[in-house]
Amino acid sequence: MPEILIETRDLIKRYGDKVAVNNVSFNVYGGEVFGFLGPNGAGKTTTIKMIVGLLQPTSGAVKVAGYDVQTQPILAKAACGYVPDTPNLYAKLTGRELFRFVGDLYNLDRTQVAHRIDELLRMFDLARAADDTVDSYSHGMQQKASLAAALMHDPRVLVLDEPTVGLDPKSARLIKDILRQLADRGAAVMLSTHILEIAERMCDRIGIINQGQLIAQGSMDELRALDKTGQTSLEDIFLDLTGGAEETEIAEFLK
Amino acid sequence: MNLTNSSLMRPPDARVLPAVLKLLFLRIRISYNSFRHAKLRTKIRNIVLWGLILGFAYFILSVSRWLLSIVHSPEFVQSAGIDLGGILASIPTLTLTTLFIMTLLTSFGVLLQALYLSGDMDFLLATPVPIRAVFIAKLFQAVLPNFALFSLFGIPILFGLGISNGYNISYYPLVILLMIFLALAASGLSSLLVMLVVRVLPPRRAAEILGFMGAMLGLLCSQLGNFANSFGRDFNISGTRLAGILFLSNVRWLPLNWAGQGLVALGEGQWLSGSLLLGATLGFAMVVFLFALITAERWYYSGWARMQVVARKKMTRPSQTNKANTNGIGLRLARLLPQPVLAIVQKDFLTLRRDLRNLSQLVSPVIFGALYTLFLLRGNGEPPGGRGAAPSWFMDSFRTVLAYGNIGMSLFVGWMLLSRLAGMGFSHEGRNYWMLKVSPVRVWHLLASKFLVAYVPALSLGLVFLTIISVVQRLPLLVFVYGLVATIMCLAGMTGILLSFGVAGANFTWEDPRRMSGGAMGCLGQIVSMLYLPISFGLFVAPLGLANVLKFPISYGYGIGLILGCAVTAGFAIVPLWLVRKRVEQLGTG
Repeated sequence: MPEILIETRDLIKRYGDKVAVNNVSFNVYGGEVFGFLGPNGAGKTTTIKMIVGLLQPTSGAVKVAGYDVQTQPILAKAACGYVPDTPNLYAKLTGRELFRFVGDLYNLDRTQVAHRIDELLRMFDLARAADDTVDSYSHGMQQKASLAAALMHDPRVLVLDEPTVGLDPKSARLIKDILRQLADRGAAVMLSTHILEIAERMCDRIGIINQGQLIAQGSMDELRALDKTGQTSLEDIFLDLTGGAEETEIAEFLK
Repeated sequence: MNLTNSSLMRPPDARVLPAVLKLLFLRIRISYNSFRHAKLRTKIRNIVLWGLILGFAYFILSVSRWLLSIVHSPEFVQSAGIDLGGILASIPTLTLTTLFIMTLLTSFGVLLQALYLSGDMDFLLATPVPIRAVFIAKLFQAVLPNFALFSLFGIPILFGLGISNGYNISYYPLVILLMIFLALAASGLSSLLVMLVVRVLPPRRAAEILGFMGAMLGLLCSQLGNFANSFGRDFNISGTRLAGILFLSNVRWLPLNWAGQGLVALGEGQWLSGSLLLGATLGFAMVVFLFALITAERWYYSGWARMQVVARKKMTRPSQTNKANTNGIGLRLARLLPQPVLAIVQKDFLTLRRDLRNLSQLVSPVIFGALYTLFLLRGNGEPPGGRGAAPSWFMDSFRTVLAYGNIGMSLFVGWMLLSRLAGMGFSHEGRNYWMLKVSPVRVWHLLASKFLVAYVPALSLGLVFLTIISVVQRLPLLVFVYGLVATIMCLAGMTGILLSFGVAGANFTWEDPRRMSGGAMGCLGQIVSMLYLPISFGLFVAPLGLANVLKFPISYGYGIGLILGCAVTAGFAIVPLWLVRKRVEQLGTG
């Protein structure tokens, strides 16, 4: 039985009267890529931020690598890597300095950090820009730098919020390959995406959240079985579960 | 679906004026919405602020009327023996010239921001709105705040002059018309300057440099008077200088003088010369504005395009952190720190050093310290000579007070730096705070690193200042060492206070570093630390005076001062941080 590396139990997040995340529970196991899908404003980013410790849940619990994010945050964070949807990085640090900084934050051995930095710079095709300040990087380069920073400490859990936005096809492919390799080495990878094709091809299991509630989760086959209309593609299943009728109305309007 | 054939879509409107009006109304709508959705407290504050501004304008109008009526009175002319008519007639010229120059200078930064660094340009350039309209709307938007501010002073002065001189009614609307035209011409020229600069420098870098230069200039201007007086130069406006200014304002061929001279002429009923001068001014201003508009439009796209191609900034020298791995006693000491603490300290020093906008705020205390060191160097630390010989005990006491007063000054210099570094230590992280938040960094490590980032530079500056004044004033070694301990401890306590208030008022959503603080907490932190400064220093110094008065050995005074001062300052260094430790855990969690 694979180890549970991300565990959310009855997770609720309220902003005043508005319930952004409502009673969400799921597990992500070591060795799998878990896709987290949902329409805009469904609660994906809020859930992810609670998992990585950027938001405090109103109630419920999150465990990362077996550690409670609220009560054992240091241990939980040490096991986790996070790539946000917007790569806000220290603009006045060079790429190399940024990675060294992250390595130090995670208490990595200094002699190995330099080696690891070179490895990541090469892997993400950032070597030529290693000594440029981050504010001179394009959006795609910043996105890659953000992912490289998250991989600095070789995390057991990697959480990514829309990792392929703004990336060219080559970089997107690279990231997909890296995530697959990470999972194959036993890490748990959780990613949110709007690109259903990526989710369908990459993810071992998928969770669909709508209006703050997890409405479905499982492998592609399990999702197909859940869908009563007998749809076969993830796009059809997704639209059916999250309100495909609205899309039909829009299509009618645009005709 | 074919939207171009749709009845919803009308052909694009190429007219400039309606588009300008649309964009300006949009801006008004945004301001109105900001006001409407603001907290009640903010709404009340804004309303009170506007009331005060209007009251202030009325006050200036009344004062200028009153002063001018005194100057005009026959009693004044008789008693003073001079007729100030010439000076009064030059007021419109001086006011309008000041408006023009101030608008030219202040518009540069605002226009740079509005034309190149505001977030709406992508959207506006993609819509079928004439580029000229976007440009004009941005120009108005940039100029209006400064124009309003200047009008607050300028209009009451000029209207007051008109009332007291009994100028005819045409004078008053013309004042406003001329101010608008001159402001537009100045902003047009300023926009050209902006376009020129962004062809050479990336706009963001230009804004950084501008912020740095502005801060330096402001500080130098604020200190110039003291500095000059101290060095025995008379920087006051002498009669000769005044005559020079008046002469300049009367020169006929200077276009900037035409407006003021024309206003006075029209006000006095000299219709022909007045109309000619005013017409020339308005025409000249219009030509300048149109020229600037057309030229700037042509240059605008190239500057905007440059925004999209960001130049690479190659760091040719190895960074500090690269060097950090080699040697140095400081670095060996630093190695004793936990790895994350050292990493955050190094990161903060690098980012502070590289961002000119931060640097401008940090250099101010250094300049202030340097200026006052120069004063001390000139004075040799001796009390000023009086008319008669003071008793020796008085002069000795005065020297002691001066010596400790100057140690206090070193604390003040340190405070200036601390209020920036400690007060904004957490806010400095801005939108990058998530990187620290998701990392396994302990709260105490975070607090320790921010403490060091603020404390070490402030202490270094304070100690350098203290050492210089000790040498200049030939302070006894004991006094120097005691001052050293007092400085180390007082600054530590101050760091604790300011950092705690910085945690309480942390703001991670700023774009411009000058907006990092400004909340109630930042202000309160400054007030509390300013109160703490004399109290904590007094705990070190007062026992010495007391021992002197009570005829106890001075060593008693030093002993009690050390115990009291160190205990209290250490408490202030630790307790406030302990109180906000929970708050640090909550920071950035939304």
